[in-house]
Amino acid sequence: MKIRHLLVSALLTSAPLSAYDAANARAFLAQHCESCHGAKIAYGSLNFNSLTPATLSTETERWTRISSRVRNSEMPPRTVPGPGVALSDRKAFLNWVDEGLHAEACAGGPVAGTSQIRRLNRDEYTATVRELLNIHLDVGHDLPADGAGGQGFDNAAEVLFLSPVLVEKYIDAAKESLEYAVKDSRARARIGIVEPGPGLLPAQAAHNILQGFLPRAFRRPVTEKETEPFMALFREAQKSHQTFDKSVVYMLRGVLLSPQFLFHAETPNPGTSPRLLDDYALASRLSYFLWGSMPDEMLFDLAEAGKLHEPEVLKEEVGLMLRSGKSMHFIESFVTQWLGTRELGRDFIPDPKIFPNYSADADLRGEIRFQPIVFFHSMVANNDPITDLVDSDWTILTRKLAGLYGIDRKNLRKDNQDQPHRVKLPPDSHRGGLLGMSAVLAVSSYPYRTSPVLRGKWVLDSILGTPPLPPPPNVPALEEHVGPAPKTMRERLAQHRKDPVCSSCHSSIDPIGFALENYDALGQWRNEDAGKPVDNSGELPDGTKFQGPEQLKAVLLQQKDLFVRNLTSRMLGYSLGRGLSPKDMCTVDSVIAQLRNNGYKSQVLIEAIVMSQPFQYQAGVPAGAPSSLSLKTKHTVTESR
Amino acid sequence: MNTSGFSRQPISRRTVLRGAGVTLALPWLEAMMPAATTNPAMPVRMAFLYMPNGVNTSAWAPQGVGRDFQLSPTLAPLAEFKDKIIVAQNLWNEASKDGDGHYVKEAAILTSTRISKTLGEDLNCHGVSMDQVAAQRAGDQTPLPSLELGISPEATGVDLAVGYTRVYGCHVAWSGPTTPLAREINPRSVYERLFRASGPQSSSAKQDTLLLDRVLGQARDLRAQVGTADRRRIDEYMSIVRGLEERTQRASSGRSTWKPKVPLNSAPTPPEEPKDYAEHVRLMLDMIALAFQSDTTRISTFMFGNAVSNVSFRWLDGVTAGHHDNSHHSNDPEKLKQYQLINKWYIAQYAYLLRKLQEAKEGEGSVLDNSAIIFASALSDGNSHNPHKLPVVVGGKAGGRIHSGQNLVFPEDTPLSNLWVSMLSAFGTPVERFADSTGPLPGILV
Repeated sequence: MKIRHLLVSALLTSAPLSAYDAANARAFLAQHCESCHGAKIAYGSLNFNSLTPATLSTETERWTRISSRVRNSEMPPRTVPGPGVALSDRKAFLNWVDEGLHAEACAGGPVAGTSQIRRLNRDEYTATVRELLNIHLDVGHDLPADGAGGQGFDNAAEVLFLSPVLVEKYIDAAKESLEYAVKDSRARARIGIVEPGPGLLPAQAAHNILQGFLPRAFRRPVTEKETEPFMALFREAQKSHQTFDKSVVYMLRGVLLSPQFLFHAETPNPGTSPRLLDDYALASRLSYFLWGSMPDEMLFDLAEAGKLHEPEVLKEEVGLMLRSGKSMHFIESFVTQWLGTRELGRDFIPDPKIFPNYSADADLRGEIRFQPIVFFHSMVANNDPITDLVDSDWTILTRKLAGLYGIDRKNLRKDNQDQPHRVKLPPDSHRGGLLGMSAVLAVSSYPYRTSPVLRGKWVLDSILGTPPLPPPPNVPALEEHVGPAPKTMRERLAQHRKDPVCSSCHSSIDPIGFALENYDALGQWRNEDAGKPVDNSGELPDGTKFQGPEQLKAVLLQQKDLFVRNLTSRMLGYSLGRGLSPKDMCTVDSVIAQLRNNGYKSQVLIEAIVMSQPFQYQAGVPAGAPSSLSLKTKHTVTESR
Repeated sequence: MNTSGFSRQPISRRTVLRGAGVTLALPWLEAMMPAATTNPAMPVRMAFLYMPNGVNTSAWAPQGVGRDFQLSPTLAPLAEFKDKIIVAQNLWNEASKDGDGHYVKEAAILTSTRISKTLGEDLNCHGVSMDQVAAQRAGDQTPLPSLELGISPEATGVDLAVGYTRVYGCHVAWSGPTTPLAREINPRSVYERLFRASGPQSSSAKQDTLLLDRVLGQARDLRAQVGTADRRRIDEYMSIVRGLEERTQRASSGRSTWKPKVPLNSAPTPPEEPKDYAEHVRLMLDMIALAFQSDTTRISTFMFGNAVSNVSFRWLDGVTAGHHDNSHHSNDPEKLKQYQLINKWYIAQYAYLLRKLQEAKEGEGSVLDNSAIIFASALSDGNSHNPHKLPVVVGGKAGGRIHSGQNLVFPEDTPLSNLWVSMLSAFGTPVERFADSTGPLPGILV
């Protein structure tokens, strides 16, 4: 089941819950909704005569969607004649829906959730081989890129598919990296290659290598029996008169192609109730979350000592891991996928004719791309509140970024200004938070012009986690209008919003984008666009008015709960390598509660996720789960239906 | 006479089932007969080129019906191939008529199914793509069963607005309902892969076979340990490793008489980093041409872009915006004009591939004469995401098995799957039905 956002936060605590029940909800629906979603007319196949308040616990997905549309003031549409819906009515109704959904999802408290077997994605594979062999090659460069699932990340188990071409590339990469490694003394040391000699037969030497290498490659202790297939490979190579080194390469190629290496495979929990992960599995989850790579010696040692799961040890280890440079892999991967800035320079390239400053300067391009990453890293390192992502009195700059943003260089640090560093922003810089960054402002534009629609959609989706609904699949072309054609983008969009179908969404999307119109498609500040002064005013369907980015950010901070929930859900999904289900919302709530009680400190977010039920526990086999036989049958039926 | 070289073993029942897809009923006996009986003198090749975002419909359809027709402005770059193409009109994939504007249509263009709406969990296209049905039945005749190529890497993120993972928008080839095939986007890598696959197998091939055999053993161990739900992934891995092992074994067994029809090094090594989009497209099309000419594979799919691609065309004369942007033209004449120019550019690239294959002589004719190269988009008008009247062209004569040189206007909403039935027939891997097909398209097969 798909999850959007169950809002159970500030609204909930302030509302008079006891006063409101299903009868009130029924009355709300009858008064405001049933003229379009009732027995006679049921737009969108939504009929509140059959979808009664009693279905709240069974039709959770539909009610989640209803909640979202009412929250965004998309429904009921303002164009419907009549007095409209009082804000208090709307809030009371939403409270009732959200509380019901939450109660349903959270009936048994936070749950462990499933943890599917998943292969290392391209970045994890590359980092793991590098760490395992101590070589500095991009061994995964030729692997096909991975798609994204769940909360939007390329480490989601459900979309890490296998293709013949991928396995071919694994074969090539294993061979290349091992052949390189045996010629490199540092790599030989890391692998643990000791040459055979007097008193050390080749087979013994090979066995010694495996005893050290195999547990690191499989990220857990291995049995003697597990070394045997690889010893057989070694013997085979020796039999055909290969050198010792070549035989070792052959043996280790087998290791790097083993699914035990290529997949995150935790020993399944055979019981029916959740159980704590073993420390090795926890070490792997932790290191792939915070480093995007295999555990280091320290983590292995803590796992071996059986101490890693102890809360104090674990918290300390999280702190150490975040301070390590390796955490940059995590932050880069998370931030660029969350914000969509990974596309910058790939599918999304600002137009070189309009932005020659961008296309001509490789340094600037890199600094633009890295600004949100380094910002996030600095925020975590300083334990600043995550709300700094929405607005902040500091940012990350370089000499060139300062130039792009029109910020006086005297604000930068004295030396080494070419390196990204944290800068306290002067007043009126317009550069606080993510929305002041070129990377974000560019990927939410067209390569050649800004689009209030794209920017508005980007903010609703990436910041608030309330993506607007898509236009109807077969949206009709706009009617040819009578009279002179509207000139400006704002006029065209205003016309667009006159259509009630378009208006139901665009009235919440476009105003947000308008407030950001002072930024051009590369995020440079402008007071004029095509000779006309920029109009940066916007008004949301609920009547909230704002002008320019600062006021928009203030409005967004009033929606802090949405933002915090969005970031929490995304990071939880990333940490678990899977999409979230409604059952996970209980965990999200508990992480949010910890954030709220701790001033929204960014390290609290990461710590609370690591300490959470789904991160530390494995779900049991649900009673009545399908056996392998019935699963197979089902599959065949699907194929031959 | 089996001239293909690779020992052709009749396929097992299991293979057939796997390749069968949802509603595909195979003519069992025929399918399990050795392919040799239906092999033409020269092997037939089949490629599918996918263009995102649909077309300016006012400039697409040719005038006139049958052999007597005039190319439309958009199809003008195909003038030199007018007697070697079929324009097929009024086809659609009914299963993808709604759901969303792009993903359902693009992902299912070769499966003719309705994909599951999901951000990732339970991703399912409910079928096998037409190219893979062919590859699963005839792919063992060449070093590579098929070649999946693209330009853009897998798109980032999931599309929360419509509720689909962007994975759907990045694949047209599906080897099974839950396995979209990864694409290669680096021309140099493709070249090297073709080179290795078609070259003489080194003495290490035997070693590789043994290695893969051990890996299979490892996988069996893990399979025994994991839970039921995870076994499917391990099974997938095992099946791929087994496939590669068989391929290595075939190639190194000495029984194979396959050899490249032209040496691979007859083509220049492509650069690793194409300088722009246009060059990137050309280089990838060169790789298809090379693969077909050398007979390293006979099946290929290529995506000019992922679904909803907004690659900028400002470098093209007369165009000031991106592809997707222009496709939402709102009947603005300027945008429609630009939309058409972009469509025409894509057709010119298609013509480029046809020309390369035409120039590659083979027997009495050319590789193009022995190919069916399909060009299509999963929408007609992009502004309304119209699923009717899909733009489809087939180039080449498929070894004389198809009547080319026609503009065929079928009854409105004829299943696109009927074309796939015809194509599978022309390729030499006939099926009785494919998804919602009602039979082959009349007038195409000889």
